[in-house]
Amino acid sequence: MTLSPTILALPVAIPLAFAALEIVLQLLRAPRALHVQQTLSLAALLSNLVVAVILLVYTLSGGRLAYQMGLWPAPFGITVYADSLTTIMLTVVGLLALLLLPYAMASLDSRRSRLGYYPMALLLLMGANGAFITGDLFNLYVFYEVLLMSSFVLLALGGTPSQINASIRYVVLNLMGSMMLLLAAGITYGTLGTLNMAQISQRMVEAPIAVQTLIAGLLLIAFAGKAAIFPVFFWLPNSYHTPHPAVTALFSGTLTKVGMYSLFRTFPLFFPNLLVAWQPLLLTLAGLTMLIGVLGAFAQPTIRRLLSFHIISQIGYMLMGLAVALSPSPYGAGFGLALAILFLVHNQLVKTALLMGGGHVELEMGTGKLNELGGLVTRKPVQAVIFFVAAFSLAGFPPSSGFIGKLGLLEVTFATQQYLVAGVSLVVSVLTTMSMIRLWQYIFWGKAKTERRPSPHFASPTVNMMLIAPTAVLVALSLAIGIFAQPALDAARVAANQAIDRVGYIQTVNPQPLTTDVAAAQEQTP
Amino acid sequence: MTALMLAFLVGLLFACGAFMILQRGQIKLILGLGLLSHGVNLALFGTSELTRGAPPILPHDGDLTQMLATRTFADPLPQALILTAIVISFGVTAFIVVLASRRDAFTGSDLAPGELASVINTADPFATHDPHVALPEAADDYDIFQYELDEVYDRPEAAAEIAHEELDKPS
Repeated sequence: MTLSPTILALPVAIPLAFAALEIVLQLLRAPRALHVQQTLSLAALLSNLVVAVILLVYTLSGGRLAYQMGLWPAPFGITVYADSLTTIMLTVVGLLALLLLPYAMASLDSRRSRLGYYPMALLLLMGANGAFITGDLFNLYVFYEVLLMSSFVLLALGGTPSQINASIRYVVLNLMGSMMLLLAAGITYGTLGTLNMAQISQRMVEAPIAVQTLIAGLLLIAFAGKAAIFPVFFWLPNSYHTPHPAVTALFSGTLTKVGMYSLFRTFPLFFPNLLVAWQPLLLTLAGLTMLIGVLGAFAQPTIRRLLSFHIISQIGYMLMGLAVALSPSPYGAGFGLALAILFLVHNQLVKTALLMGGGHVELEMGTGKLNELGGLVTRKPVQAVIFFVAAFSLAGFPPSSGFIGKLGLLEVTFATQQYLVAGVSLVVSVLTTMSMIRLWQYIFWGKAKTERRPSPHFASPTVNMMLIAPTAVLVALSLAIGIFAQPALDAARVAANQAIDRVGYIQTVNPQPLTTDVAAAQEQTP
Repeated sequence: MTALMLAFLVGLLFACGAFMILQRGQIKLILGLGLLSHGVNLALFGTSELTRGAPPILPHDGDLTQMLATRTFADPLPQALILTAIVISFGVTAFIVVLASRRDAFTGSDLAPGELASVINTADPFATHDPHVALPEAADDYDIFQYELDEVYDRPEAAAEIAHEELDKPS
């Protein structure tokens, strides 16, 4: 199958075009603007997913694509690049955004949807897609800002005091993380003379170790801030519980995961030596992230606060996979990264499902406080079962995707003789299970509390269907990955092998050295 | 010499920015963020060789290889990067100012909730609140649920202030 590389513009162009159209309609106050917006969003998300799946099929069979924007040869133009790691992320994020559309349509209050939820969700998708496909460090910063700007608006959408309060913390901390990324891009240009990621990869290995350490440190701080890794995770549990549940679910599947993707993309590509040398540091951060996340979750009294601490905890597992990515192991190089990618996908599916299910309860009962809930299993058996499966998938029970991911990560950590962090991850698994049991028990088990009357809006079967069906799809996918583990693992291995294959990346992008370009330009000049 | 001065200036801006961010009060926070982003922008500016009186234009008939070697033109890329970064940080700063003014409307103070109750910073030139009218001791995100926070700050005058800013009233 041949594929024109121009298709790589679509994951950014489709959401942008539709979002712009929706914003114009909103500003013109067109009649039935809301319905038109929803229809346009559906069209955008469907076509985006189709493009992502086409790219996924192409790259999983070994292909890679690179396109130079405006046909300026690399490194002068902006390169976009896709391999399996990129397309897996494009597909999963596209799928999550599509499934969250009916969820949002059924659950958003009219005020929030009128204030522009739908275009902002599309712009968030555009930022995430752009960060996935870009092959240019500065462009990565720009797409991060697109992603963050739309997330700022989504977080503050509705404007309750707690949202405003959370937004200020979120914006300030993320802005400082972005400055670190910008500084890293600037220093990269100042020392290596390029921003093209393929060319950085070429030149970075020959750069002095001080330069490598400086840039790697800044990038690690920047991406760790986005991914909510141990010392810089405070913004996440401070903000994720405040917006509308649909927004929280969208964030959990995109924001932190984009940060993690960027680590997966840049570290094996730029710093193959440092990734090995910094293994103790990365493993320490991974262990602390897991442990502090799960311990923090125990102290939380509401559904979404508890789940947002679990987001942090699970990020630690992915970082653990990245830390052992290039270590020699009996499974071959890159196996750790393959499992980290598998775990990332698992986490995107399951965590979003949990936040959607928990958000449904919170919306319907008007509270997320665990001590005011209880006994929902009799009234909501389907929801209870779905939530149960998702919770135990997160905890890592077979036959779910969490089991495969955790088992594999443990095996590869043991094989690289990192017993301490493997032990920590086992303890964290047990604690996660306890926390998930506690959560499920508080919401669904026990005697029904009568103080809270369920909101009548959620009695309608259509609304219920639109809220429960997307969650069910996500949980089913998690189970499918767990049951058909071999194909999933094979796909993840292809992605990991492509991600650590620096030569392949450079050959695909094919940046021209400056001197030959000058020579060529001179020849062409009459 | 110019490069050294630039480096000192970047350091100074970072130091001042960090100091301002660690202070109490939202205005100082916003000013500190502004200083930090200026520091980053200046650092970006210093990533290329600093040339004077050399526009970033390649003459059509010049010897390109020699010009590249002697750097008789300015590198346009850092300037393009800074321009992008300035636009982005301007947008984000505007957004934070709006958020801060919203919070101001809710809490009637420049300070974050919680700080009002326990800390009275009389030396704060921007402080406009009456320190004796304190909010409940526990009015902080960590100790209070979002629902309760919404109730604590549900001041009718804030609602009236915000009501006329509605983008789109439900018809």
